[in-house]
Amino acid sequence: MKSDLHFKESNITFLKLFVFLILSIFFLYLDKDLEYGNKVRNNISYLVQPVYNLANFPSKLSDNIQTFFKNKNDLIEENKILKKKIQIQSGIIQKIPSLTEENNRLKKLLDSSTSVNSSKILLAELIRVNLSPFSNKIIINKGRDKNLYIGQTVIDSTGILGQISEINQTFSVVTLITDPGHALLGVNTRTKKRIVISGTGDNRKLKAMYIALNEDVVEGDSLITSGLDNVFPEGYLIGKISKIKKDMNQDFLDVSVVPSSALSSNREVMVLW
Amino acid sequence: MVIINKVHVVTIIFLMIGVILNLIPLPDLLAATKPPILLLILIYWSLAFPKHISLTYAFVSGVIIDILLITPIGYHALCFTVTIYLILIYYPQMRLQSSWNKMVSLLIILIPYFLMSTAVNNILGISFNLMHVTFSILISIIIWPGLFNVLRFIRQKYTS
Repeated sequence: MKSDLHFKESNITFLKLFVFLILSIFFLYLDKDLEYGNKVRNNISYLVQPVYNLANFPSKLSDNIQTFFKNKNDLIEENKILKKKIQIQSGIIQKIPSLTEENNRLKKLLDSSTSVNSSKILLAELIRVNLSPFSNKIIINKGRDKNLYIGQTVIDSTGILGQISEINQTFSVVTLITDPGHALLGVNTRTKKRIVISGTGDNRKLKAMYIALNEDVVEGDSLITSGLDNVFPEGYLIGKISKIKKDMNQDFLDVSVVPSSALSSNREVMVLW
Repeated sequence: MVIINKVHVVTIIFLMIGVILNLIPLPDLLAATKPPILLLILIYWSLAFPKHISLTYAFVSGVIIDILLITPIGYHALCFTVTIYLILIYYPQMRLQSSWNKMVSLLIILIPYFLMSTAVNNILGISFNLMHVTFSILISIIIWPGLFNVLRFIRQKYTS
């Protein structure tokens, strides 16, 4: 009698396993491009946001404690340095209007179209949660309420970070340029050659693809966005070529690029319009 | 009946804590090798109450963690379900084992989990680092005895 019961129970468990396996494989098939996941997150973003906030709380708290215990003299010193920095930078900025004008004039002489510079910048804070170790995504605390749109460029002070791939009510997801599924078109500043740069999954490394064996690249070349991919505006820093491996049996050079932005270790990022 | 309700409530609370712990930011090196803490908590409760905490819990918590971690829905659900099924097969032996022996059993149960997640990674084209995966398994096994004792203390206090 008892063994009979046991048998029944294990049968039910097996049936459950079977149903759940089919269900999850079906979900995986539907959601392989994260489309349904986006919809779900969109609809329950008021539930997701508090969880993220809760997970973000310890790092925020430690930040607050650090600022609370900061020495007054240190702060004064820091303030001085920052003021000096601002002075220098505004000195550099003074020249920009005249330079743009000159640039436009020269471009007109050459009969090429003038580029439109983006004007508005929105500061966004990172919601620091530990996503899966294999994903190259970050979450920022601005969403639909600030009129972001999908494909918008996100940068930090040293270079390009990525693009917005999902927008919810109060937070959005940014896919970094190091995501293995991400590629963008850059320009070598020295030779003006266009280069496709794709992510590797490692946040410290990018990969420049389809560079012919005899092409002119050297280590240390810096790459900027070209503006030809219709996603990223022109002229933002992507990174520097760090290593070139030449194998005569391969069709293309194996070129690694170090991204110039601090990718996942940022506190604040900028969203461009 | 009251005790069973208590079991469900305590388990759900701990799974929520597990979800939060899974999301808490860590330094870069640790983040890459972080153990699947939610799965470990789930394993503990299904070892303790295999009749009540079983595949449904695994599937639902997998879906929730998929939504939060921005992975394709079904990824963790699949891996969790299979792992908890292994526990359901294996729990009569595992309960009787000593602490060291349990760590080895956990290794045997976690290896299919990681194999499965790497297989899904491969199919979906998500990149992964095998070194990090290995370290993740090792760290989970190292933290298991501590986690086990903490959770057992709580179980004895609140669900009996």
